[in-house]
Amino acid sequence: MSLTVGPQGPTKTTRTGLNSAAASPALEWLWKYLQDTPHPEILDCGPVFQATVDVFLRRGAKVHVADLVTPLLKGEERFWNRSGKVPVFRVAEFLAQFPAVLPASLTVIFGWHVLDLLPREAHSQVVGRWLSCLQPGGVLFCLLREPYLPKGADTFWWLAGLRSLACAREGSRPFPYPAITNRDTERLAPPGSVKTFLTRTGRREVLTIIQP
Amino acid sequence: MWWEKKSGPDPGQRPHPLSAPAARPESWAEPLEPTPRVSDMPNTIQNQTLLGQSMVLHGELTGKEDLLIEGQLDGTISLPDHCVTVGSHGEVKAEIHARQISVLGTVNGNLTAREKIEIRKTGQVVGDLVAAAIAIEDGAYLKGSIDIQREQNQAAARSASLPPAVKASA
Repeated sequence: MSLTVGPQGPTKTTRTGLNSAAASPALEWLWKYLQDTPHPEILDCGPVFQATVDVFLRRGAKVHVADLVTPLLKGEERFWNRSGKVPVFRVAEFLAQFPAVLPASLTVIFGWHVLDLLPREAHSQVVGRWLSCLQPGGVLFCLLREPYLPKGADTFWWLAGLRSLACAREGSRPFPYPAITNRDTERLAPPGSVKTFLTRTGRREVLTIIQP
Repeated sequence: MWWEKKSGPDPGQRPHPLSAPAARPESWAEPLEPTPRVSDMPNTIQNQTLLGQSMVLHGELTGKEDLLIEGQLDGTISLPDHCVTVGSHGEVKAEIHARQISVLGTVNGNLTAREKIEIRKTGQVVGDLVAAAIAIEDGAYLKGSIDIQREQNQAAARSASLPPAVKASA
């Protein structure tokens, strides 16, 4: 089922309960948290959407862009070493996709659903790289699918507004790896730094805050 | 407060690649012009010098004409008062300084435009963008940063650097 949005706005609900746009409790929290930060420095790790860039720019942000989602969805071979019996994900090759960003310089990173598309063995290094780029008090924003959501890996997300998310389509591709649990996220991030927001979209919105 | 209005425009609309952004919240302290639509951009295909598909150029390129690159260029491009278009076949490894820059091909290097930078959906840019306005068509590839520098900011910076007598007469 494709999502089409009319001029009256998103009212159609998909099989999985996805709306084409929805208020985001995590974004609500995030921008309130950053209300005294006039010029946040943001890294967007999703596909380039002008809508998202516009939201960031009108928020006064300096924006860095590096699409990590599309190469994963394409299953680019350069990320895989298939010389052995078991394919091995080349984490270093993947990390090379990150833009040149100084350590501890970013205010927010939008990781979107990259973790749902990555093999488990790559999570710690990728999250570690993200967290190393965040300044004290910085926030990593991720979307994680709920275990009951079997399909939708190929959905693209963008910001419809400062506090609302939208998705391009429901998506039909099954997720390549098991769902990440809340316990998994706590293993990946420093204790006490993770906020998880439940939604009706089949995704959890997860914020990881670097303690000041 | 950095908040958007709750009664803002429909948030669910699929962002057409060239669509204008949603209405700007009044409470934002530093209102910015909406990023222009790509279709609003002036046609830069006319009256310009062409670097053809079979051409390969290494070095520094300066001039007083608009430039369309369909070949390969490696070096620097400085056309501060004119437009540079990297065509769909163009492959550029260079820092580009121009009044306006349009990318339909591949660019590896930083782009600085006094007015606008646009990246079409076929465009691929690895580099940092600095301009007064930036339009990125959905489907374009960008790896780098985006920095908006408004003309008024640039003018203020220029004014601040002028000696007092010049300021008074300006």
